[in-house]
Amino acid sequence: MRATLRFAVYAAGLGVMLTCAVSLAQEVFIVANKSVSISQLNPAEIRELFTGTKSRFSDGSRAVPVLLKGGPVHEVFLHRQVGDTPEEFRMRWRKLVFTGQGSMLREFASEAAMLEYVSVTPGAIGYVSRVVDPDAVKILSVQR
Amino acid sequence: MSRRGIGLCFVLVCACAAAQDMDHLQIHGFATQGFLYSSNNNYLTMKSGEGSLQWTEGAVSISDAVTDKLRIGMQLHMSQIGDFGGPKLVVDWASGDYTFNDRVGVRVGKIKTPMGLFNDSQDVDSLFVWVLLPQAMYPVDNRDYNLSEMGGEVYGSLDLGTKRGRLHYRGHIGGSVLDENGGYVRQLEQYGMTFPSPPSGKTYGGDVRWATPLEGLTVGSSAISTSVDAAGPMGSVHTPPTLTLGQYAQWDRGKLHLAAEYWRSPLYIVLTYGPMRQVMPLDSRAWYPMVGYDVAKKLQVGTYYSHYVNKTQSTQGFVSYSKDWVISGRYNFNSYFYGKLEGHFLHGTGLGYYQSTNPNGVKPNTKMLAARIGFSF
Repeated sequence: MRATLRFAVYAAGLGVMLTCAVSLAQEVFIVANKSVSISQLNPAEIRELFTGTKSRFSDGSRAVPVLLKGGPVHEVFLHRQVGDTPEEFRMRWRKLVFTGQGSMLREFASEAAMLEYVSVTPGAIGYVSRVVDPDAVKILSVQR
Repeated sequence: MSRRGIGLCFVLVCACAAAQDMDHLQIHGFATQGFLYSSNNNYLTMKSGEGSLQWTEGAVSISDAVTDKLRIGMQLHMSQIGDFGGPKLVVDWASGDYTFNDRVGVRVGKIKTPMGLFNDSQDVDSLFVWVLLPQAMYPVDNRDYNLSEMGGEVYGSLDLGTKRGRLHYRGHIGGSVLDENGGYVRQLEQYGMTFPSPPSGKTYGGDVRWATPLEGLTVGSSAISTSVDAAGPMGSVHTPPTLTLGQYAQWDRGKLHLAAEYWRSPLYIVLTYGPMRQVMPLDSRAWYPMVGYDVAKKLQVGTYYSHYVNKTQSTQGFVSYSKDWVISGRYNFNSYFYGKLEGHFLHGTGLGYYQSTNPNGVKPNTKMLAARIGFSF
């Protein structure tokens, strides 16, 4: 009985470690519409664009940030670039919506749908784990 | 706002939305049900001594991005807290919002009033760990008056550079009307004052907050000037323009969330009954520190201490102050549903107690259990 319990604890611990390792290893590309003239962003700009603080890129053109509805790529992007959990991020936007200060960002159920929207919408900016067609969108680098 | 006015606003927003690409139209809402159970006294006109469920709120908002720079929208809100509010829908906000650029935008219509950390969002329960925000600053019985105004505001933010953070600013001017079913009107009724239309007055002020380069740390300051006038068959009430000043800080660092505020609000209320004149000076000092912590993905806990004192009265008397120790927990069942449980240890009766539900007077201390479930989309 005690051995079974110990095995269960080890298995759960290993599961948590693996999940964390997968999350840390998750690669996320910031992608934008080809009309966006800049080729790199700093972390503060990304955070400000996705939290509604800023509505334009540094070149003055309008930014249209979009989101994934959920999943590991969404969680990793929010954690790394915004510093929020998905729940905190949702709260942040609900505050803007329910006080009349903003509208929710458009959400997509899949990376393919997000890429398609970004490729055809001027100013659109999103994030994906891999870019199938590099000619369709622009990959932005993040300044460190 | 009258039912006809609400209908007109709603039709206008829908018509504008329908005239545009429906792709940009957004509809959101929330609904909550609260419960209070207290010892010794009844709180907020609810029969909380017996356990009361008389706390229901809900809202629906509709907004549309007409162009890249222009957004219109409105939110209808229903709130019943004890004898406050009622089943009727009121316009929470209804505005046109034009953003010239990140530095300047204007919002016109019925707008939320910025003051301190939470004034403009205090009716959106889903944003908070707490069932009740610190009542020293955000009294739920007078929320509708403090929450919004008819007028306009200029807002924007200034990038100070990567090592200096960002400065956010808002300036507003308009008119506010006391809620006819709100706490201030109930208190005036206790002095025999009734009015054919609710007391109202001018409101103006501003808020400046600095998102510092230290990640998650925001500090800021707000100021608001309000005045109230009304005349009725028994007499009149006059409150000359009064300036409330507030300072605040908030720090969100990972799972830890800290906040603190200090407000000072001097008031000079004059009641006139024929040739008789009664002056009621008030100098309220309010502050709180609060701590929240994300224990798990779905579970948050927190505690705060809310302190209110009227310095014009003897601070020894329990009617002149309200000190509230609070411990709270919130569980998110999923992205839409949540539940909250909160314990209050109230000392003093300076806030939140009414004669109508405490006809035999109030006792100095109250222990209270508050719970709330909610849904937001």
